[in-house]
Amino acid sequence: MNGQDWKDKLKASLKMDRRSFLKTTALGSAAIAAGGLTVKPKEAKAFAYEPYPRDDELTTVVTSCAHNCGSRHMLVAHKKGDVIVRLSTDDGRYQQGGAFGKDTFEEPQVRACLRGRSYRSRLYSQERLLYPMVRTGARGEGKFKRASWDAALDHVAGKMEELKSKYGPTALLDQSYAGASYGVLHKSDQIEGLLGRFLGMYGCRTSSWSVPSYEGTKFSSRITFGTIQDGNEDDAFAHSKLIIMWGWNPAYTFHGGNTFYYMRLAKQQGCKFVLVDPQYTDSASAYDAWWIPIRPNTDAAMMAGMAHHIFANNWHDQNFINKFVQGMDAGTMPDWAKDKENFKDYILGKYDNTPKSPEWAAEICGVSADDIKKLAQMYATTKPAALKASWAPGRNAYGEQYNRMAAALQAMTGNIGVLGGCAEGIGKAWHAEGVAYPYDEFANVFYASIKSDRWAHTVLNYPNVKREEIGLWPGGRAGDGVIPNIRGIFWQGSDWFNQLTNINKEIQAINKLDLVVCNDSTITPSGLFADVLLPVATHFERHDVALPWYKGHYYIHRPKVIEPLGESKTDLQIYTELAYRLGGADFGRRYNPKANRDYFMYNDAVDEAFLREWWENKVMHHQHVTMPWEEFKKYGIYKFKLDRPHVAFQDNVEKGVPWETPSGKIEIFSGQLAQYDDWTKTAYGHEIPAIPKWIVPFEYLGDKEKTAKHPFHLISPHPRHRTHSIFNNIGWLRETYEQEVTINASDAKKLGIKTGDTVEVFNDRGRVVVPAYVTERCMPGVLVLYEGAWIDLDENGIDRAGNPDMLTLDEPSPAGSFAYNTVLCGIQKTDLAHKPGWDRLATARSHVFRRDL
Amino acid sequence: MANEAVPNNPILQDKATIKEAIKRHKKEVYTPVVPEQQFGFIHNNVDCIGCRACEIACKDKNGLPPGPRFRRVMYVEGGTYPAVYAYKVNMSCNHCAEPACLPTCPTGAIYKRKQDGIVDIDSSLCIGCRRCEAACPFGAPQFIPEQNIVSKCNMCVDEIDAGRKPYCVMACMMRVLDIGPIDKLREGNYATKAMAPHEKDKLVRQVKSMADPELTNPSIVFVAHSQGHVDKPKEPQ
Repeated sequence: MNGQDWKDKLKASLKMDRRSFLKTTALGSAAIAAGGLTVKPKEAKAFAYEPYPRDDELTTVVTSCAHNCGSRHMLVAHKKGDVIVRLSTDDGRYQQGGAFGKDTFEEPQVRACLRGRSYRSRLYSQERLLYPMVRTGARGEGKFKRASWDAALDHVAGKMEELKSKYGPTALLDQSYAGASYGVLHKSDQIEGLLGRFLGMYGCRTSSWSVPSYEGTKFSSRITFGTIQDGNEDDAFAHSKLIIMWGWNPAYTFHGGNTFYYMRLAKQQGCKFVLVDPQYTDSASAYDAWWIPIRPNTDAAMMAGMAHHIFANNWHDQNFINKFVQGMDAGTMPDWAKDKENFKDYILGKYDNTPKSPEWAAEICGVSADDIKKLAQMYATTKPAALKASWAPGRNAYGEQYNRMAAALQAMTGNIGVLGGCAEGIGKAWHAEGVAYPYDEFANVFYASIKSDRWAHTVLNYPNVKREEIGLWPGGRAGDGVIPNIRGIFWQGSDWFNQLTNINKEIQAINKLDLVVCNDSTITPSGLFADVLLPVATHFERHDVALPWYKGHYYIHRPKVIEPLGESKTDLQIYTELAYRLGGADFGRRYNPKANRDYFMYNDAVDEAFLREWWENKVMHHQHVTMPWEEFKKYGIYKFKLDRPHVAFQDNVEKGVPWETPSGKIEIFSGQLAQYDDWTKTAYGHEIPAIPKWIVPFEYLGDKEKTAKHPFHLISPHPRHRTHSIFNNIGWLRETYEQEVTINASDAKKLGIKTGDTVEVFNDRGRVVVPAYVTERCMPGVLVLYEGAWIDLDENGIDRAGNPDMLTLDEPSPAGSFAYNTVLCGIQKTDLAHKPGWDRLATARSHVFRRDL
Repeated sequence: MANEAVPNNPILQDKATIKEAIKRHKKEVYTPVVPEQQFGFIHNNVDCIGCRACEIACKDKNGLPPGPRFRRVMYVEGGTYPAVYAYKVNMSCNHCAEPACLPTCPTGAIYKRKQDGIVDIDSSLCIGCRRCEAACPFGAPQFIPEQNIVSKCNMCVDEIDAGRKPYCVMACMMRVLDIGPIDKLREGNYATKAMAPHEKDKLVRQVKSMADPELTNPSIVFVAHSQGHVDKPKEPQ
């Protein structure tokens, strides 16, 4: 471009020639010539500060959140061009027969929580992964270089072939989890995810069978009721007269649809609330609950004490027991097991001369015998009453015994199968149609399967590993009892390196591996330990349908709101393309039957076809929905109206339908467990009693020897401002909540610790540095450090961010539950550096408004 | 001697003169707007779980970075283990009947809307002097360093004008935050989910640790926690 062209262009763009320029100037000079002061200043005309542009001037697209919390709430994207300007949520307009403000008991709005509302800053965050990256530094060092998709996928495919041929079909460990889950098509999951099917079909997969969140609870629900669908829909809570929140904090977890809101309605109807928890949570304050502080990991003992008091006073529902329960007492034992222990005689102390009385329990759990009796009476005499035995106390050594003990209480009081009662447990309620991708015989093929937090132990000790040490699932395709030779890990929707137990052991183990592949939309702490980072499109950038996994009965349409940022692709695109590279058109087409190889570039039509087929075949056909796919897409949400509130086991109780257990009854005495003779050949590895019992945990406050060295019990519940580790990098959330350790005020006083002091929490497994929060709301002897902070290690391996999994034990309970909350530790003031991971100066204001202590 | 109220004490004379001058000044530059209808907030201190979804929705709506917080959910806790209590006080701008911020503004950027009494700052006139921030007894005006202006909650006027409710209200998962005509809200005669019918007698204009409402007559009403009442504090049993 020469000089003249440039000037012409500028002139044209300014629409100004020399003549009009002079005119303007002349006018200006005239005004000045007439005396500047005579020019009237423009009158200041106030107008509202309005965020520009208004919602009504933007394109509105209904979508949903997508992180793994069990709920699913609506997000409404307001976008301009290809940019999301802001998000709002359900306001009643986007359903059939909807109108602004419509919010009824049957069809409540599904409003997003603070995490959902912050999605825009996650979508456009600095930590967003935009291009394929290949590691250049050491694992964990965080040094990567950008690579082309071609180079990255070739590298992965080449390594896969090498490892499979060298080490066999157990060489690749599937550590997919639910971080990118809860779409029906683009799904990450341990059991039924896209990665599992890909590796299974490829013929090289070791899977991880225990679920970090609730394996103890899952075991209990399966053994006792024969199903994990032991939950009521959230609106059922509005009908309770008493709700016992056992370790349950819905004000933090937002677990399921509108659970917390229906509980508020229950409170307005006069429902009483009780919280059994080491912390006085915000749930306790909002529902005005009677707080019973309890020593962590002693819940089964307290429940046994309650059962004793109920039996002693004859408050149990013998009619219900006789009709529906196996093994509650001598009369309900199966004929073949008359000589085995039954629950009532265990509680009364017939076998060990130790009655599990409230006084006995009080010694163990730190709750007074009077309070145990009072709660037992309340629960046994208030009808209907919901004992909501949440997952957290199950994330313990022998956590499964707590959940089984809770099921015994629920059964003996006849609070199962009735509206306002509760049999949870897992609590999964209304059954959604969850899978739109091809679901066939390859969906969960595994050559070996281990307890999920034993992978590091397996890698570090191979081949000198016994099957019972790692919870090897019987009958893997590589042969029963074959210890997997793990040489590589695949992560999909998973930050497991940061989230499993005993991170220091994981660091040792990962350095022995030959391949670590991470699919994610964000660069996570796990990603920093990967060899290859593959950028995944977020749920705003791909077509899907969302569903609540836990409670809530609705589907939310999730269109492609914007084009994928950077070079990101969906997981399905990545695995389809890898399948083509590994096994040509044969593998490629089997893996993704609707697609050709150009799916990697053009995926819209195929995704639409999968989803439409799912809607028409499964939703419309199985669930009798009459709304056509096109209409569903137009509305954005489909809310089911149920004929009656969904209550688990209502038909079993009212119509005599048998339970899905071997005996057809609620199995407090488990026939299956009673009949194992060699426990090492089971997935559990170690004996589990046939009836629920209190078993002394690996470490807890009652252990005189261990508490001499580490006098505090650390629990690591779910935070409110993260879903596990997701959202840890979001400034909005970090300014409202800080990663900190909660300590009781009297304990803190003895140690000279004040709110805001930097402290070190430590044990033999690791050390973390965090600020302290001193409060009367926490039981003495207990520390609380929320899970999910992104590790930030100094040169000595001390975590400056405060991730409790530096301190947790990688020894799962026999039934597989992670022992996340079974941790003894010490605490002291320190000069070590804490790194909050964001600009503290910019966000310092949050402290001013927090607490009055 | 020096502290005695002597009429010819020059200091006291000065004070009286200044008071007089302020009065005159206010009269000259500011005629209080009496709105046709005053909108205000209602918040249930007890039932609020303190999740701060309202805060994040507000941040997103107004495009705020970490730092300035138009809406602030304040946590209050007390008692001694194990007899403890906790509640939340949720406040943004109270769109006061007599806003303290308004007359402090040297550029006339702050104004009160005639139709609904919403107090807003015209950001094109704001020079970031932060006088309003100092004047407000409730901490509503928020300085935004990146833009060198003060900004605050305007009750989402664009949503109000469109016949909807502000983002914070529509974000509330527990339905404990709402807006409405403040006189009706105060009387307990406005249909709102923020309050159960039997909570009508718990409605208060002021809760503990909050500035005296006589200062500015804020347009907000609370369902108070038993420990949050200003007049009858008592420890739980």
